[in-house]
Amino acid sequence: MSSALIDLQRITKSYRQGDLPIDVLKGIDLEIAAGEFVALLGPSGSGKSTLMHILGLLDRPTSGAYFLDGVDVAGLDDDQLSGLRNRKIGFVFQTFYLIPYLTALENVVLPGLYGQERSASIRRRAQEILQQVGLADRMDFRPSQLSGGQQQRVAIARALLNDPPVLLADEPTGQLDSTTSQEIMELITQINRQGRTVILVTHDIATAACAQRRIELHDGLVRRD
Amino acid sequence: MTAWYVVINYLRLTLRVTLMAFFALRAYRLRSAFVIAAIALGIASLTIIIASIDGAERKADEIMDMFGSDAAFVIGGDPNSRAVGWRGLTLTYNDVQRIRDELPGAYLSVPMRAKSNITLRYGDQSVEVPTLVGSTEGYADVWNWPLAEGRDFSAEDVDSGAKVVLLANGPKEALFGQRSALGATVYVNDLPARVIGELRYRGMASMGGSIDDRLIIPITTLTQRFNMDRKYVRALRVKFSDPENMAFHRENLRSLLRHLHNLQEGENDDFSVLTADEILKFISMFKGGLVAFLGVTAAVAILVGGFVLANLFYLSVTERRVEIGLKKALGAKNQAILLQFLVEAVVLTMIGAFFGMLLGMGMGQLLARLGILEILFSWKIFFISLTASGAIGIIFGLKPAREAAGLPPVEALKGV
Repeated sequence: MSSALIDLQRITKSYRQGDLPIDVLKGIDLEIAAGEFVALLGPSGSGKSTLMHILGLLDRPTSGAYFLDGVDVAGLDDDQLSGLRNRKIGFVFQTFYLIPYLTALENVVLPGLYGQERSASIRRRAQEILQQVGLADRMDFRPSQLSGGQQQRVAIARALLNDPPVLLADEPTGQLDSTTSQEIMELITQINRQGRTVILVTHDIATAACAQRRIELHDGLVRRD
Repeated sequence: MTAWYVVINYLRLTLRVTLMAFFALRAYRLRSAFVIAAIALGIASLTIIIASIDGAERKADEIMDMFGSDAAFVIGGDPNSRAVGWRGLTLTYNDVQRIRDELPGAYLSVPMRAKSNITLRYGDQSVEVPTLVGSTEGYADVWNWPLAEGRDFSAEDVDSGAKVVLLANGPKEALFGQRSALGATVYVNDLPARVIGELRYRGMASMGGSIDDRLIIPITTLTQRFNMDRKYVRALRVKFSDPENMAFHRENLRSLLRHLHNLQEGENDDFSVLTADEILKFISMFKGGLVAFLGVTAAVAILVGGFVLANLFYLSVTERRVEIGLKKALGAKNQAILLQFLVEAVVLTMIGAFFGMLLGMGMGQLLARLGILEILFSWKIFFISLTASGAIGIIFGLKPAREAAGLPPVEALKGV
C-alpha cells in the first residue's frame, strides 16, 4: 500500500463499439501525493477524459486498482462512491455546469445538501467561499446574469464547499478568453497553495505551465511524467 | 449507524429535495402548468362523482325520510299492463275505509286525488300552482310532513266539504312571503277557501317541479267543486304501527285489496303497492348507474392526467440530463435523484388536486343549480382527491424518476 493520496495501478478501460472493443486506457500506473498540482495533458482521444472520470469516481475502470486516500474504490457500491465524491472530490468543468434556475449562492450550496451538515452552516460557508473567489456582490445572480469567468468562479466555489482534498478541473479555461483564463488559473494555483491537490486536465500547454508536474497521455498510456 | 440516524438523514434529504423541487417546478413553469391542468381535470371529475354519489345518498335519505319506512303507497292501476283498457281509477273510498278498519297493524289510511294546474289568488296577486291535492284528515301525519303553523283537516271539514285549504311552502311564500297566511281567504281557481294550515318547507324536487308547490283541500271539496266522480280515489297511503313487519303488512294489504276488488286467482293486480324497500331498490339502481357512468369518466380523466404527467416527466429527464449528471458528480445518491423527480411529480399532482377540487366544486355547484345533479360536498372529497393525486404522482412519476436515477453520471454529463 502506498501513502499517496491517489494511487492508480494498471488501470485499463475498454468500451465496446458494436463488436469492436476499444481500449481507451491500456494500463495506467500513477501516484499523486497530497498537495501536488498535476496537469494531465494529451491530445483528444488520448484517454485523458476517461482517466479524469475514473479519477473522479464517475466511472469505473475495466481492470486495475484505484486507491483514493488508502481506500480501494473497486469494492464500493454506487452510493458509497457518491458519498466519497461528495466529501473527497471537487469538480470544475469546462462548461461550468451551473443549474440555470438557481442563484450563484444556491448553486454553491448544492454539494452540501447531499451531506449531513446543517443548512445554516452550509450557507454560511458558501457565502464565505463566494467572497474568497471575489463574488460577494453576485451571490443572488442567476448564471445567465454572470460572465463566463464569474460563472467558473461560482463553479470553483461549489467545488470547494465540502472542503475536498482533491480538486479535479477538466479544461477549466476552455470556454474563456485569455485574460479571464489567466485569472481563473491564478485562482486555481492559489487553491493549490492552500494545500489542496489539484489535477488539471487540459490539452493546452500554456495552461499546464501552472502545474508543478505534467503527465502526458498518449494513446491510453502515460508517455511522459 | 443507528436506524434513528438513517431516518433523520432521510428526512433531511427529503426536506431539501422538496425545496429544490419547488425551484425546478418554478423554472419549468409551462410544463408544470400542463401537468397541473391535466391532473386538475381528472380530480375535478372525481370530485363531481363523489359529490353526486353523496348527493344521491342524501336524496335517498330524504326520500326515505319523507316516504317513511312505516308506510305503503298504493296507486290505482295494474303496473304490468298499460295496454288498451288500462284503468287508473280502481281504488275506492270503500277500500280506504276497509283498510283502516280491517287491516291488522294499519292505523292510518288516507286517500288522495289530484288536479293539475290551478291558479291560486290572494288579493290582487296570483300564482300558478302545478298540483291541487284532495285528501282527508291525517294528510300531514301520513306523509310525515309537519305543519309550520295552523292545523290539519278535521273529520268535520272532510264530511262537510268545507272550503278550507292547506298551503305548502311554495304558494305560501309566493303570496304571503314571511307573513302568516292563517285565516286568510284565498281563491283556488274560483273557489274561495280559508287557509287553516301551512306545511313546512320540504325542499325536495319531484317529477315536474318541487314538492312544495302544492295546495291541499278536503277530498270531498275537490270532488264536489271541481266536478270529479265521487267513488274513486287516485291513490292512498297507509301507515303501520310496527315497521319491522313491512313485508308481511304489504302482503296483507295486497290480499285485502284483491279481495275487495274481487280479483280471481290468475288475474293481475289492478293496483300497485309501493313501500320504502322498493324505493330504495330504485334509488340504489339509479346510484349504481351514476357510479358506473361517472366512475368510468373520472377514471379515464385521471388516467389521461397520469399519462400526461409521465410523458412530460420523460421529457424533463431527457432535458435535464446534465443537471442529473452534475448532481451525481456532486455526491447525490441514486435515491436522492429518484426522490427529487418523485417529489416534483407529487407536488404537481397535489397542486393539480387542489385546483381540481375547486373546479369540481364549481362545476358541481353549476350542475346542482341547473337541477342536473344532486350534490353534497364533504371532507371525504378532500382526502380521496389528495390520495388519488398522490398515487398518480407516484405511479406515473416512478418510471421516469427511476430512469433519471439510473443514468450513469458520465453519460448524463454528456447531455442530450
